[in-house]
Amino acid sequence: MLGGFLAWAVQFTVIYGVTSTVCARGWADTTVLGAGIVPFTVAGTTLVAAVAAAAFLVHALRKHRRLQSADASVTDVFLIQGAVLISAFSIAAILWHGLPALILPACS
Amino acid sequence: MNAPESPKSFERDTSEFPNPVPRPKDELEKLKRPWVPPKGLSFITAVNNTYVGMWYVGTALLFFVLAGILALIMRTQLASPESDLVGHDLYNQLFTMHGTVMMFLFAVPAVEAASVYLLPNMQAARDLPFPRLSAYAFWAYFVGGLVFFSTIFFGLAPKSGWFMYPPLSSLKYSPEDNADWWLLGIGFIEISAIAGAIEIIVGVMKTRAIGMSLDKMPIYSWAMIVFAAMIIVGFPAIILGTLLLEMERAFDWPFFIAERGGDPLLWQHLFWFFGHPEVYIIFIPATGMVSMIVPALAQTPLVGYRLIVLALIATGFLSFGLWVHHMFATGLPKMSLSFFSAASTAVAVPSGIQVFAWIATIAAGRMKLNTPSLFIIGFLFIFVLGGLTGVMVAMVPFDWQAHDTYFVVAHLHYVLIGGMVFPLFAALYFWIPAASKRPLSERLGRWVFGLMFLGVNVTFFPMHITGLIGMPRRVYTYPVGMEWHELNLISTVGAFMIAAGVALFIYDMLRNFRPVQDQNAGNVWNAGTLEWLPNGNYGVRSIPVITSREPLWDQANLAKDVEAGRYYLPGTVTGGRETIVTSPFDARPQYILQIPGPGWQPLLAAVFTAGFFLLLTVKLVFPSIVCGVLAVGCVIWWLWETDPGPVRPPADIGGGFTVPVYVTGPMNHSWWGMISLLVVCGMIFTCLVFSYLFLWLVNPGAWPPEGVVVPHFLYGAVVGALYLASAALIVWASRNLRGEDRRRPASVPILIAIALLLFVAGSAMDLWSHWQTGLSPKEHAYGAAVYGIVSFQVLFVGVTLIMGLYTIARWLAGKLDSVRRTTFDNTMLFWYYTTAQGLGGAAVVYGFPKLVGGY
Repeated sequence: MLGGFLAWAVQFTVIYGVTSTVCARGWADTTVLGAGIVPFTVAGTTLVAAVAAAAFLVHALRKHRRLQSADASVTDVFLIQGAVLISAFSIAAILWHGLPALILPACS
Repeated sequence: MNAPESPKSFERDTSEFPNPVPRPKDELEKLKRPWVPPKGLSFITAVNNTYVGMWYVGTALLFFVLAGILALIMRTQLASPESDLVGHDLYNQLFTMHGTVMMFLFAVPAVEAASVYLLPNMQAARDLPFPRLSAYAFWAYFVGGLVFFSTIFFGLAPKSGWFMYPPLSSLKYSPEDNADWWLLGIGFIEISAIAGAIEIIVGVMKTRAIGMSLDKMPIYSWAMIVFAAMIIVGFPAIILGTLLLEMERAFDWPFFIAERGGDPLLWQHLFWFFGHPEVYIIFIPATGMVSMIVPALAQTPLVGYRLIVLALIATGFLSFGLWVHHMFATGLPKMSLSFFSAASTAVAVPSGIQVFAWIATIAAGRMKLNTPSLFIIGFLFIFVLGGLTGVMVAMVPFDWQAHDTYFVVAHLHYVLIGGMVFPLFAALYFWIPAASKRPLSERLGRWVFGLMFLGVNVTFFPMHITGLIGMPRRVYTYPVGMEWHELNLISTVGAFMIAAGVALFIYDMLRNFRPVQDQNAGNVWNAGTLEWLPNGNYGVRSIPVITSREPLWDQANLAKDVEAGRYYLPGTVTGGRETIVTSPFDARPQYILQIPGPGWQPLLAAVFTAGFFLLLTVKLVFPSIVCGVLAVGCVIWWLWETDPGPVRPPADIGGGFTVPVYVTGPMNHSWWGMISLLVVCGMIFTCLVFSYLFLWLVNPGAWPPEGVVVPHFLYGAVVGALYLASAALIVWASRNLRGEDRRRPASVPILIAIALLLFVAGSAMDLWSHWQTGLSPKEHAYGAAVYGIVSFQVLFVGVTLIMGLYTIARWLAGKLDSVRRTTFDNTMLFWYYTTAQGLGGAAVVYGFPKLVGGY
């Protein structure tokens, strides 16, 4: 149920941790595949986290469909509906947190 | 009041009830007997949630009034320029104490206190699962809080702001004991808050009415589980922070001293990792209250139940991504700031969802304008305004302009008063009829609301402007000619209006509040939830099966049937205090929890714990140690009476359910309590490792500093091997202690004893390996960080030692066997955690310097 938010938490920890470390240590000029290490990490982590949250969403939607056709308990349906809502909200939150990499310089 | 039209009521077929009526004549008498509180002086040893909850709420309100008086003194001082009512030193103490007392001694305890009272009633449990822990948390808070507050009368109150930033709070700039009162006093009160949070987690997850599955749980219970989870994740950061700053002040370990490799910003990270979620920790229970009050007053089910649950969980998560928005002016890279700016705006979404859900519920029903509903409307108005200015300060460029000005004072008061004080007052007016013979006065209540609502806006709205025209926070006076005096005068008038409202409320309480356990004013709002069932000291007569979120609306005659004893456990099966433990998801009966009754142990343990911390503050080390030993002794005395074992065969509670009176393992409530405690420990350790890494980050090329030798990695390997061997022996002991034949294998205490020796040896070697290299914790932050991690492990090994010896003692006393093994299981869980922590710590202190090329 909480998978989407866990994906957000991991994304947030990684992007903040890497940005802080790179900037404090003066590694901002380091490049990975031609991109700066900070924008690369932020974009990469955002993508991975968003895909993970989307996978949680798809899984929850499929399970929701199965539960509707089966004789599922109300609690199970409630939990899976919660997972759908949380995963969808998490995707938006993850993308929102990744936006700064498109706009701001890494370490100024 | 009319019954709700929707959803439809239905008559229950009487043949479906779990227990027949009439009940045996003496059943109710036998049920009542164990729940009667002690008489005379011993009354203070009562642990019933109803008594402890009421004392707790009363004490929180006392601190609200005391901190409010401090605010009035400050407002009087600022009413005119160049006033000399109070000097700068006292003013510094006043604003520090006002913020500290409001946040730590009023806001968090008030919402925790309310839940001690409300949760069991709302979930139809007879009490919380660890009532003595609630009593301990209350007394620790009561004694510690009053002593802490009294420091203001002796000029000893802390004066570095409620956030205690070093270097201002360091020994160099605060050489007196004032800062220590904050560090030890508040650190200790946080322990009380964590004890309460663990109680709430287990209470919500394990003691609900039959059928109260997660989808039917009151929103208040959802709010409290999120609240408690946030406490056990967020509060460890401030506990660690206070520990590190106190170690710096007491032993000169330079965690925050820049000249020796420390960094004051580390404190800010630790403080705000707790401090910002703290705002939501206060706000979330208040929203839970609102989500209960609004449907009852509007006489219609809450709109958007699922979305509100989502909003609560989302707020809980996102609030941990906001802490740096208090540090926008510290020079961090803009990219880093933007992540927190994004989180700060994102968190407005779940808050907005809740606001719209409440408005929709009000619109869907027929809400009368009585006192609780006025406070709800006031809350919506004030909180939304505070939220909007919150989005403004979430924008980094705006924050740079408004930082440390009265604009921020206005924002935070709108959020906190709107988001917590108004809902709390709504809750008091709403739920007092459930706890008192008479409800509070409706006429006086409207005056209270009017004075407080106008007062808050008159006080704090002008502060937005005062701040924007440049008045900084925390100044004890200001010169003539700054054009701040008129706005300040208006704010002062508003503050006295709030005070008049609160004074009127106190008068109303004195006039009308008559606490009773039964014969209360009753369900005066025609609310639909279970706290309005008839109850006594023992909670409800029988524990109902519920089929909806508003069972009193949907299950006709529920109150009468519960009172008649038609539902589960209408009497007592063990002769003592007990309640039904239910499964966490779908709330099916699992076992009967034997609840401990009143006793001096939690009270004395709390007093001695307070004595330990408070005496340490004034450097009375020996009396402090005596208190510490006595506190541990009282806890052991308290625990000795717990873990009663299966005192009787499984009991019939009605409806074909025969449940055991004792279980072990993950089904057991204390297993959940221990896991929650280990989350707290894990978070403290995580914050400690974060501190180590942060100090590495700010010390390029000096990790370790020149001339410092890191012990050979072999030492770390041996330390880890000793810990692992110790844990392996506990695994072995656990295997030997299995079976249903109540065996007491002699190998168990022997294995525990050997495991203890290995554990202590590992810890001693860990400490010695660093010591023998000549590493000092005082010279550089590196040494402080290493010894910080090692000492933390030593502390845990010490606790494991006490727990291990206690477990052996239980075995020797015949109180531990293969069935009655909860004590062993708890010790085992703690042992495994300490092993994992030891391994993690060893990997950091021995391995990390090598990883970064330090040797």
